[in-house]
Amino acid sequence: MLLFRSEEHVTRWTEKRRAPIGATFTPQQVWQLATAWYGDRLSPNWRRRTPEEARIVFEGIGLTGPFWEPA
Amino acid sequence: MLASPGDDPILDRDVRLAVYRKIVEKGRPPTPPEMAVGLGIETLDVEASIQRLADGHVLVLAPGTPYIWMANPFSAIPTPFEVEVGDRLYFGNCIWDALGISACLHADAHIRTYCPDCSEPLSLDVRDGELEATSEGVVHFAVPAAHWWDDIGST
Repeated sequence: MLLFRSEEHVTRWTEKRRAPIGATFTPQQVWQLATAWYGDRLSPNWRRRTPEEARIVFEGIGLTGPFWEPA
Repeated sequence: MLASPGDDPILDRDVRLAVYRKIVEKGRPPTPPEMAVGLGIETLDVEASIQRLADGHVLVLAPGTPYIWMANPFSAIPTPFEVEVGDRLYFGNCIWDALGISACLHADAHIRTYCPDCSEPLSLDVRDGELEATSEGVVHFAVPAAHWWDDIGST
């Protein structure tokens, strides 16, 4: 997950490298994801989320669809 | 209560916590012998625990070694995702993880990276639990969630 100046830079970079187009998000969306995903990481009781728990986290911040379907 | 060998879930919890404690304090993960001394167990038992944690996608090891490469969101090696928290410097594995360091520490952070396309420096700032509204840029996720662990180094 990389931070680019703009969509135009993402497009140019992926085309040059024939890299997957993937999906783009705003830094605010990724900050929301970071707090939801990592906020409890240092807790003694932390454990890895199940796919269903991961889906709930993603849905809670509006990240839905095939791209966000956990393994 | 500290874990003893044969008590895998508790041992694995203690090893995981020891890893994160060292990274937060020193900016690098502990080696297995360091953890063995700290936990009062054999290095081999630490290594077995680390391998279980890696198998469970809790940690990522440097290939072919018992040494920690990633304890997400932290990277054990320098990356282009520098995270300043107070007088400490950490490295994230990606821009999501760089923000994740601020999130897991519940601390203000100044994040420095650069645009992979044009190399222009970019930065993000977290203050009082919020990403500053002036934050610029676009975050690119190349790989869908279902495939993040296919090759975590490139995800």
